[in-house]
Parts: sequence; C-alpha cells; structure tokens
Amino acid sequence: MTPDDEAAPLDAAEAMRLIREQQASTVQRLEPDPRVHYWPWGFAWLIGFGVYFLRFSPDGRTLVDMPAWLPLTLLFVLLAAAAVVFGVGSARAYRHVAGESAQRGRWYGTAWGLGFFSLSVVIGRVTDSLPPDLAGLLWSALSVGLTGALHMAGGAIWLDRTLFRLGVWLTAVNIVGVIAGPGWHALVVSVAGGGGLLVAGALARRRHG
Amino acid sequence: MTELDPVIHAQARLRVVVTLATLADGDRITFPRLQELLTMTAGNLSVHLRKLEDAGYVEIDKTHRGRTPTTLVRLSRRGRRAFEEYTENIRALLDPPAPRETR
Repeated sequence: MTPDDEAAPLDAAEAMRLIREQQASTVQRLEPDPRVHYWPWGFAWLIGFGVYFLRFSPDGRTLVDMPAWLPLTLLFVLLAAAAVVFGVGSARAYRHVAGESAQRGRWYGTAWGLGFFSLSVVIGRVTDSLPPDLAGLLWSALSVGLTGALHMAGGAIWLDRTLFRLGVWLTAVNIVGVIAGPGWHALVVSVAGGGGLLVAGALARRRHG
Repeated sequence: MTELDPVIHAQARLRVVVTLATLADGDRITFPRLQELLTMTAGNLSVHLRKLEDAGYVEIDKTHRGRTPTTLVRLSRRGRRAFEEYTENIRALLDPPAPRETR
C-alpha cells in the first residue's frame, strides 16, 4: 500500500474530478462501444434485404439475375455473423460481472431465441399453403415485427431511449413495407430498417462519448 | 464545513466505491476484474475492500464458478447510500446552496 493511498483528495473539486473520471473510465470499459450492438445488424439488414429485393423484386420481376437460394442464404449468414459479433461483444464487456444485469441479459437473449423459434414453427406450418411471394413476405414481416417489439421491450428493460425508439421505428417501417406489398417490403426494410439501425448505433455512440 | 465520510474520503477507496456504484444495483463483480478496472495491486485492493467491508459498505462473497473459486464484490445498500451522501456533500461544498454569510 502506498502511503498517499490513505490521503484524502485535496479538496472538493479534486474529489469531484476523481469521481467523474472513475465513472467515465468504468463505463468506457464495461461498454466498449455501443455500435457493436447496432451496426452488425444494420449492415446485415441493408445488404441482406437489399440483395433479396434485387432478386425478388415487386410484381414477380427480377432486377438482378442470381440463383434463387442466394438471397435468403446470404441474409441468414449475415444475421448469424451479426449475432456472433453482438454476443461476443456483450459477453466480453460483461465478463466477470454477475447479478441482475447478467440475469436480464440472459432472459432477454432467451426471449429472442424462443420468440424466433415459435415464429418459425408457426410460419413453417402455413408456408406451404401460400403463394411464394406471400410466404416470403410472411417470413420477413413477422421477423421484423418481432424484432421491433423486442427492441421496444429492451428499451423498457434498460430504460434506453435509443433502443425503444428504434423498436417503434422498425415496427412502423415494417407496417409500411407490408402495405406496399411483396418485393417492396424488402426494399423498405433494407433502406429504412437497416439505415435506422446504423443511425441508432451512431446516436448511441455519440451519447456514450 | 460538512463532515465527509472518512471511509470514502480517501483517494483509493473513493475510486473503489465509484467503480462499484457505477455497476447496476444488485450487480456483483469478480475481484480480478475490479482490480483491472482500478489498476490496483491485489494486496492494495484487498486492504481497501476490508476497510469498506468493516464499515458495512461492501459485501464480499467467496463462491465457486464451476470449480474455480471466485470472489464477488458488490456495494451494499448502505454503501450506495453513503456514496450518494458523500457526492451530495461534495456538491454542496462546490456550490453552496444558500449564501448566508461569508467568512
């Protein structure tokens, strides 16, 4: 123990500066960069749904010719990659912290997993009875809808305004896309949804400092 | 002058308390991670944690994570309140609420 450890801060201003500095450095190191929560998903949506739109364009057309399996495969690979980046990023920041935050994170992650599992069971059951364009719309519209709702729930859990507003935005974008119809939905989700995720990441970054 | 809590009003312990208070209420952190966040030696941190524990400001649990023994540290409710009071007192010193009379 060094002798000046026991020393009191020189004065009140010094103590305040010490408090601020230590708070900032702790926050910085526990949550390295909020963009890691948003940008992987943003790029996955922008590219994934964008390519989907180019292949399965409105009115059954094809703007860019490519194998029919490619767009969805690409989308799933990008989403999986985003999930890995997101998971590793949060786990690393919160390593060695136990308690209520970890519990919230685990339950929230479970809600995502179970939510998407139940959704895929339901759609898988009815998808064969639908024309291909409507089946595609059902898959993406329900997925984006659930994502929007879970973002709002996340905002409520962590009292995070950016996250809640993003959920509202994604929900609105999804509704507009569905009304516009098959094909258009992918374009709207790619540009407005993916773009919304990127903007939310930039906003969270700015607030984080 | 307002009396400042002597347990918290020491540079090293103030940093420990601030770090623990920054965690969400109810969260516990492992000893090595806390050490890393504070860049203190293990011995040094132990000494300060013991003083904080004696004051009832910090709760230290020795448990097992799988097979490895783990020490988890958290700010007690009392510790959090003491830190809030300390911060308020510091604020009051910096910005006196009612300028009654000056010395």
